Amino acid sequence: MTTQFYIPEDHAPLPPKQAEVITTACDYCVVACGYKVYRWPLEMANGGMKASENAFDLDFPTAPLQAWVAPSQHNVVMHKGKPHNIIVVPDKDATVVNKMGDSSMRGGLLAKKVYNPSTGTRDRLTQPLVRIGGSLQPVTWEFALDIAAAVGQHVIDTHGTNAYGVKTYSYQYIENTYAITKYALRHVNTANFSFHDTPSDVTSTPGFRDAGFDNFGPSYDDWGAADTLMICGTDPYETKTIIFTQYIMPAIQRGMKTVILNPRETAGIAYMKKHGGLHLDVNPGSDTLVVGAIARIIMQNDWQDKDWIENWVNSKWESNSGFGQGTRNTPWQWRTTWGKFQTNGYEDYKKWNLAQAEYAPDYAANMAGIEVKKLYQAAEMLAKPINGKRPKTSIGIEKGFYWSNNTGNTNAISTLATLVGAGGREGQVVGRFGGHQRGGQSGGKLPRNKSPEKVPGRRRRALDTDRYLFSGHTRFTHVIGTTWIQAMCGSQGLQKKFWELTVANPHQVYSYDKQEIIDTLKARADSGGMVVVNQDIYLRDPIGAKFADIVFPAATWGEEDLMRANGERRLRLYQKFNDAPGHAKPDWWIIAQLSKRMGFDGFDWQNSNEVAEEASRFSRGSRKDFNMIKVAAHAEGKTLHQKLKEYGTEGIQGPVFYNYDTKKLVGTKRLHDTQMSAETLAEKGLTDGPQGANVLKKQLTGFNSQTGKINMQKHPWGLFSDFYAWIKPKGDELWFSNGRVNEIWQSGFDDVERRAYTAQRWPENWVEIHPDDAKKRGIESGDQVMMYSDRVPSFKDTILGVEGDDFQFNQLLEAGHIQLDKAAVTAVAIVTPCTKKGVLYANMIDMKQPSNSLTARVVDQISGNYNYKMGVANIRKIGDSVYKKKFRSFSFAPRNIV
Amino acid sequence: YPGTAQAQQVQAKVTSYPRQLVGKLSQLKVNQPLYFNYPDEGPNSRAMLVRMGVEGGGGIGQNKDVVAFSMMCTHQGGPLDNQYKVRDEHRVIGQCPFHLSTFDLRRHGIIVSGQAYESLPQVLLEQEGDLLYAVGIMGLLFGRSDNLIAVAGA
Repeated sequence: MTTQFYIPEDHAPLPPKQAEVITTACDYCVVACGYKVYRWPLEMANGGMKASENAFDLDFPTAPLQAWVAPSQHNVVMHKGKPHNIIVVPDKDATVVNKMGDSSMRGGLLAKKVYNPSTGTRDRLTQPLVRIGGSLQPVTWEFALDIAAAVGQHVIDTHGTNAYGVKTYSYQYIENTYAITKYALRHVNTANFSFHDTPSDVTSTPGFRDAGFDNFGPSYDDWGAADTLMICGTDPYETKTIIFTQYIMPAIQRGMKTVILNPRETAGIAYMKKHGGLHLDVNPGSDTLVVGAIARIIMQNDWQDKDWIENWVNSKWESNSGFGQGTRNTPWQWRTTWGKFQTNGYEDYKKWNLAQAEYAPDYAANMAGIEVKKLYQAAEMLAKPINGKRPKTSIGIEKGFYWSNNTGNTNAISTLATLVGAGGREGQVVGRFGGHQRGGQSGGKLPRNKSPEKVPGRRRRALDTDRYLFSGHTRFTHVIGTTWIQAMCGSQGLQKKFWELTVANPHQVYSYDKQEIIDTLKARADSGGMVVVNQDIYLRDPIGAKFADIVFPAATWGEEDLMRANGERRLRLYQKFNDAPGHAKPDWWIIAQLSKRMGFDGFDWQNSNEVAEEASRFSRGSRKDFNMIKVAAHAEGKTLHQKLKEYGTEGIQGPVFYNYDTKKLVGTKRLHDTQMSAETLAEKGLTDGPQGANVLKKQLTGFNSQTGKINMQKHPWGLFSDFYAWIKPKGDELWFSNGRVNEIWQSGFDDVERRAYTAQRWPENWVEIHPDDAKKRGIESGDQVMMYSDRVPSFKDTILGVEGDDFQFNQLLEAGHIQLDKAAVTAVAIVTPCTKKGVLYANMIDMKQPSNSLTARVVDQISGNYNYKMGVANIRKIGDSVYKKKFRSFSFAPRNIV
Repeated sequence: YPGTAQAQQVQAKVTSYPRQLVGKLSQLKVNQPLYFNYPDEGPNSRAMLVRMGVEGGGGIGQNKDVVAFSMMCTHQGGPLDNQYKVRDEHRVIGQCPFHLSTFDLRRHGIIVSGQAYESLPQVLLEQEGDLLYAVGIMGLLFGRSDNLIAVAGA
């Protein structure tokens, strides 16, 4: 008996002096560290150990913090059909992001990401596939595209555009997302569209949106420039690794205090606690109460930032002002019954907060399962002036927080941020830390008015693609770069429905003839079934392997010149440095071929730069406005990609301005920069307002609201409390939450199964359980466990809300819109005090053992997002895993050892 | 001669790891690390020998609890001396003072939490009676392109 093992090599080649150096950035998390690829042909000798003999100009062995090549940072790739050595290493010359070449485990292993059939990447999709006789069989691009276009067109003509669904990643490079959204939203014009992490096309952080905060306004420097940093729903060391090690950690060493809201204690939180951090290990979903109570304590002590509130919070009249209709015609009112969140400013909010019983500190602390004194400590750390001086406070949130009570939590934290003066000054910021990199550029607009779902009042809500599919309305779906099923809540119920609509439908392809195949698939759609097209870099199970009728192989990172921004809006060119495998093509190309066959115009691009140049004008006024890079490039006789390439790993932060006088491009350090100096404005060429093609939005020096000031919002617990009471663990149930680990973060789509070292560390699904909970159930580390529930609530219908509370959970339950599903997922148990007593913490997505099947498939009633972190489960031992007694892989050591 | 002005570059010829005495089993106290250098006295060869009191992968001795590891973090070379920790049945080294990586010494130095993209190199041990010998390394030492290099004076 053995387990996943990996015997590391004890040598690695050094790049020779003549190696080509190509700049890129990491493909994975939002931080987007700068990387360099060194490439040299196999016949060229490797570099030597002397500085004069290698491309680093360093004598080896090197000293700590100097450049080094680990064996896993080397690979052999095809470049223009010839084998080349490459090494992919963090850019040691970096002065931004990963300064001096810091790196995470995910980025450190980037070299192993590229296609090499002697490695774990050998199963890359290399040819278009069509399912014939039950097997996905290689065909030509023409054959696959003709079928997809003909069937898709038929579905639109026969069943309407909403029967044509598109489910896609939101982040995998600007050129691709532009092409995809141009096709899906501008041309197909379907409301049946959503991104990889949400069932409907809605904002991830409704409270931020309605307050006027951009998710990614702050710069990375800001995260290390506060006196007190509040961190909600994440350990930035786990999931923003380099922001933590490069910005937060040095600041803590200088004395920055931290307040952390998270049910779990991992390495970064342990480090922060060791240095005076205050950890509020709250029960899942109780954050709104905790934040509301802290806000109350601050106001009762009169610690709120009065000057800031005076200058930057909308008064009664400002709340109702704007373009004629004030906030009545803004998204925050479309989402809910009017007046649910709106206040008349600070005093009105204070009055409201004090009148809500649930924001009494004792009640909040009790519900959160924490000591009440921690709420008072938090309030002091965030807002109490010391010797008459306010602390500079910043607040960063992430998924554990905004995927627990999506609307309530983001409303509450926006208000708390405003009370403590966070939002628009250096070291006083509020934002998301981020997940994926920011590679979205919309080429079309969601036709929300075509959505059949309506919330009470007269407002349409973005169509929920899961429920629409579940109701049998989706006849054709194009799934791009997402597993869809495992990534959604209550995923096992969703998977069963996919099976019913595809495999279980009588119309299956058993023909060599293209027209007959097309006719069969049309008949499937017409019969109430569904046709699935899947576009990805690997064959996904089940969406591709089990359900897809057609598979398109995509090219990816390093196989095409592509642009993307990171969590501080920093735009870089990710350069091509090796050939895509087989017939794999970049997503924009695939979309263009399909669109042309469907009769859409404007898809005649010859290369990715042409797509980027077209996309640029749609970026104007956005946080990553890169249109002026194109303007400058053209003024210099260059292309957009050529110009951005000149910026190397440093890139330039959006929105980018072009100063027509100095002929310089000037980036933007932070949005909502209320302290922006006249000199900075002059440098951007904005002294007399925007010149030429520059676009100036109020978010540059103010906020994204009707006035440019902040809307201070209420955060009514009642919208969530009935669901919370229903879902709370009963009997032997435990809270079931889930998330990521540092070693696999925004990288699970290709590293966990294919990087030898990553697979050795995390060979299969796992769950953390507190020692007390484990002991009670006879569970030890390394046990194979079954997590199960017969209380997975699944919202199944697309409905029209008429009465005010039609979307309230109890109301949905009563009206029969919630079905209770069963789900079961196995995992390897890790008994650890890292997770709070009473809370299971599982891996978010294991393709084979999808934890999300245990979470509630009920959307936040205001926003339409899932609360992915909310579920309950039973757990019991079913046996020993091989990892219990074998030492080659896995680790059961706690992650909070300092 | 090497090191003199007239020295010519000569490719070092090293064919295998040296067999080096690193300690005596009877003198190892549980959870009290001993430090040594291996495979040479050159840069980045710092290593630790420890009797963990619990079995570990690659462990020797009657209880398979004696292991040895490189003391430079494989992330960016952070010094791991004095970071040996005992938590219940777990034996880890870390957090690295540079970027907080921790490694599991019972599981061949695999990362517990953190940044490193290689396990902590494990020094392979052999026992001969009471004597403990280092005989090889699994993984590449930080800063080197080969574990075996010609070291001046070695």
